[in-house]
Amino acid sequence: MAHSAVAPSEQYNYEIVKKFAIAAIVWALAGMTAGVYIASELAWPLLNFDIAQITFGRLRPVHTSGVIFGFGGNALFATSYYVIQRTCQVRLAGGNFWPNFTFWGWNLSLVVAGIGYMFGVTQGREYAEPEWYVDIAIAIVWVTYFFIFTLTLMRRNQPHIYVANWFYMSFILATALLHIFNNLTMPVSFFGTKSYSLFSGVQDAMTQWWYGHNAVGFFLTAAFLGMMYYFVPKQAGRPVYSYRLSIVHFWALSFMYMWVGTHHLHWTAIPDWTSSLAAAFSILLLMPSWGGMINGIMTLSGAWDKLRTDPIMLFLITSLSFYGMSTFEGPMMSLKSVNALSHYTDWTVGHVHSGALGWVAMVSIGSFYHMIPRLWNTTIYSIKLIYVHFFLATIGTILYITAMWVSGIGQGLMLRAFDEFGNLSYSFIETVAFMHGPLAARAIGGMFFVTGMIVMAYNVYMTIARAKQEDSVPVAAAAKA
Amino acid sequence: MFKHESIETNSGLLIVLTLVAISIGGLVEIVPLHYINGTVEKVQDPQTGLDMVRPYTPLELRGRDIYIREGCYTCHSQMIRPFRDEDLRYGHYSLAAESKYDHPFQWGSKRTGPDLARVGKKYSNEWHVQHLIAPRSVVPESIMPNYPWLAETELAYDDIQDRMIALKKVGVPYSLTQEEYQANVKQFGEEVAKKLNINAAEKTLVADAAAGNFDGQANRVTEMEALVAYLQVLGTMVDFTKFDEDYFIQFR
Amino acid sequence: MLTNAWLWLIDLGNSKVLALLIFFFTFLGILFYVYGSRRRSERLESYRFLPLQDDDAPGVPHTEQQPKGEK
Repeated sequence: MAHSAVAPSEQYNYEIVKKFAIAAIVWALAGMTAGVYIASELAWPLLNFDIAQITFGRLRPVHTSGVIFGFGGNALFATSYYVIQRTCQVRLAGGNFWPNFTFWGWNLSLVVAGIGYMFGVTQGREYAEPEWYVDIAIAIVWVTYFFIFTLTLMRRNQPHIYVANWFYMSFILATALLHIFNNLTMPVSFFGTKSYSLFSGVQDAMTQWWYGHNAVGFFLTAAFLGMMYYFVPKQAGRPVYSYRLSIVHFWALSFMYMWVGTHHLHWTAIPDWTSSLAAAFSILLLMPSWGGMINGIMTLSGAWDKLRTDPIMLFLITSLSFYGMSTFEGPMMSLKSVNALSHYTDWTVGHVHSGALGWVAMVSIGSFYHMIPRLWNTTIYSIKLIYVHFFLATIGTILYITAMWVSGIGQGLMLRAFDEFGNLSYSFIETVAFMHGPLAARAIGGMFFVTGMIVMAYNVYMTIARAKQEDSVPVAAAAKA
Repeated sequence: MFKHESIETNSGLLIVLTLVAISIGGLVEIVPLHYINGTVEKVQDPQTGLDMVRPYTPLELRGRDIYIREGCYTCHSQMIRPFRDEDLRYGHYSLAAESKYDHPFQWGSKRTGPDLARVGKKYSNEWHVQHLIAPRSVVPESIMPNYPWLAETELAYDDIQDRMIALKKVGVPYSLTQEEYQANVKQFGEEVAKKLNINAAEKTLVADAAAGNFDGQANRVTEMEALVAYLQVLGTMVDFTKFDEDYFIQFR
Repeated sequence: MLTNAWLWLIDLGNSKVLALLIFFFTFLGILFYVYGSRRRSERLESYRFLPLQDDDAPGVPHTEQQPKGEK
């Protein structure tokens, strides 16, 4: 303690990072529990209990918004505010007020939106369900976020903007663009909740999936790559594998993602050229995606033994493996011939979750286990529990996606099967009956993952509680003396 | 000489170049759809020359609102693809024109239940009511939730005019003035034009409910009434028997 | 002039080839720039170490230390 340097907890605004980190864990528990519940409703429809507010159709957006914007969004706010301060070596801009404004604005918007869904208030467009007034609130919060981030960048004490911040920046810009253009609606009245979207039919579908896929591309990929570029090198104690690769794959990824949304609309009434274009770019996208994966995994090159001793590293590297797998599966599913079978089935749901659970959630969890002890200036309560969490999460994810492969490919094959007379072999409802087993297995996979999150919540709670106890000891001692 | 460092050390340049990189794809794919003729084909009755696809009547519109409210799109698509199995199972593939008045579109992305793009007139009103109240009473293997409250809740339609005005603002040809009404007569015929008149919306809604009696409760207008009215019109606007079998292929 | 250029660009018949060429050569340009010269490569790679410079200030435990929670 000979140095007189200011402790990071004073130099940086850690309070806001702590708030977002805790909110992310709370949302993860809520959103994933909702997910397990709706998964169970599909396996055992009795669970709808004839209560309007908890039927599948109303609860499903609660799950998707809860995990994407609640868990994912808060995790991104937390880590971006942490990473930008650490890599620019400057305190967050906007004083105490504006970062707090983004915290309360973001979370209150999501709570209002989520309660709204349960009471039937929705725009009826996937992942863009919040109604117009929530959309406006979110837009204001997002612009504030952009200014805080940019002003902090401009004040930096480092000549260079580290690559993680490029990814965060492109995520903030793209999300603003997507959110604003996809939510152009006409409210029925100023005091009412209902609105109708500005576009219709083909144009509405195109705009919606431009948004929908880039919510995946920028919200759930670019931003989490930003997370990866900081936390993997930090946890490994080694610099990232290749800075040059990161330049190439940053620009390629930013450019190419925006083209591929239409692969959600193959074989629909959309003009064929848009869907062919999207398929071509989807294949090309494999390269920048794998560029990111290679850069992350190879950071550990020469220090693979860390995987034996460090469960946080296990989380981070496993997440990159899932990222590599789902970014291979995605281009394959965007081929029109494969899509003809996979679209409208559980295969898509499984693909999303290999990305969402395997990549997004695991990289966030790994980053949190690294960041949280540093925020509270302590060490993690239990390394063993991180191992427990890791195995629960991995088993849950694998069970989930395997079940969805069985269900999705099985249903796809049944629906296109013909008997020797050229008639359909199966009625639709026979495929539903077939899916009962996989749907039940999927729900159990989800339960594994949620159990892991409960273990994490306990571990984090004990870590923070102990840190507070440690803090108060010297104070108490001083008071006695 | 350009250096990548110029971008890495200048946040303004980083922002501008990133914006350029992320804007191109969306511009190229979305903007033309608003301008290219033929993105949405014209579907007119070969005999009368009237538009076959029409905006929803007030009752159907309220039904559609309920369809969206309940999140039906999370399990049902409304987009039939041009495959043999889908043709046999659901009917003619969906045309772009068939969702031209859909704000928002409800094509969906998942078929936990069957596609509904052409469910209209395939089942009786009684079947729909029974199926919505208790799906497993008519399809034992179904995993759809029960929707008993639809038949018990009176339909709120006091703001039906506001809803139609909002849709009119985004381009749906509901009529407020006499000229607009006349234009609708020309485009859709008088019978349809009357139902698109915003001024008479409440009367039209009640009359349609009484005439159709979709919920089987003669003296009430329930949410069930509106939803079944909407389901019964899905995919029925274009009469494919009036066209050659491969007529629509030219628009793909 | 600008509108003409824009119209030419959004005409799909023209723009496909043009766009493909522009994008491809931009990509090649980036690749050449990034990997083309040894000196530049070394300079670019030197920025890798940025996140490791913000070493935790004194008092903050490092990962190498035995975590207290290990039981």
